[in-house]
Amino acid sequence: MSGRRSRSRQSSGTTRISEDQINDLVIKLQQLLPELRDSHRSDKVSAARVLQDTCNYIRNLHREVDDLSERLSELLANSDTAQAALIRSLLTQ
Amino acid sequence: MESISTTRSSGYDQSRRKRKKKPPSPPPSSVQKWRSEKQQQIYSTNIIQSLRELRISDPSAKPAPPRGGGRAVRDAAYRSLAVTARGRTLWSRAILSKAVKVKLKFRKQNRSRNSNPPTTMISITGNNRLRKKRATVLRLKTKGLPAVQRRVKLLSRLIPGCRKQPLPVVLEETTDYIVAMEMQIRALNAIISAVGSSSAPRPPTPEIGRDGEETHMLVVEGCFVE
Repeated sequence: MSGRRSRSRQSSGTTRISEDQINDLVIKLQQLLPELRDSHRSDKVSAARVLQDTCNYIRNLHREVDDLSERLSELLANSDTAQAALIRSLLTQ
Repeated sequence: MESISTTRSSGYDQSRRKRKKKPPSPPPSSVQKWRSEKQQQIYSTNIIQSLRELRISDPSAKPAPPRGGGRAVRDAAYRSLAVTARGRTLWSRAILSKAVKVKLKFRKQNRSRNSNPPTTMISITGNNRLRKKRATVLRLKTKGLPAVQRRVKLLSRLIPGCRKQPLPVVLEETTDYIVAMEMQIRALNAIISAVGSSSAPRPPTPEIGRDGEETHMLVVEGCFVE
């Protein structure tokens, strides 16, 4: 098991989580990222790149959620028909 | 001899067949779960309920002033997301425990009316599956590349509850968190379009036969039905 990928130093004997497992996790993460998902060089994207893109993506998601909640709060604050609309949307789902 | 062997093998096969049960289908991964329609509906229900609670509370009270309203909505959104996650992930438990601490502090300061403890509250100390992994990874030497370590640290700061977690835990939490956030954004967009279009500014004289508005509302509801 230690000889499969010689990228890192010799793994200590007590490592329970293998590097393969970590690589699998990174690949799984890469599948979720919109930019890297369709990349042609899918097996050459480094883990560092995946992680960095993940950070950027999460920051984008945070920002988008903030924007959406601002819009939603404005909508709710403006009219009372919004209240009824909320309830209605709950029922129609 | 052949017949004996075949009977034996067939007998063996038969007994095997009797004993062999159909393997249960693997449980849906967390990624598939968050992308399902059902999860989005559950989440929408949760967040709409908490949004209604926000509004029903006294407008002059702290939680929902018009200026900080966005923040209140955002907190409600994340709380509902964490509740929908059913407390199986670190980040959801972290969000919920943060919310509880804030709520307790607020309640202690005000000693106002009894707000009901959220009935959908899930035991925070519940699932220790993830905690088990931490103990075995203390000596992890692989992926010791400084670039990777640095980025994982940054990432762990972005995800609630993962600041001191080892690399594989952070990665797992990240995958779940990202898919959950994507669902949250989809749900918020749906809610906004539903609320926004139906509370569009009406003309001063309400005309019942206003075709444009009617069809518009029908279109929105059509979207929801599917």
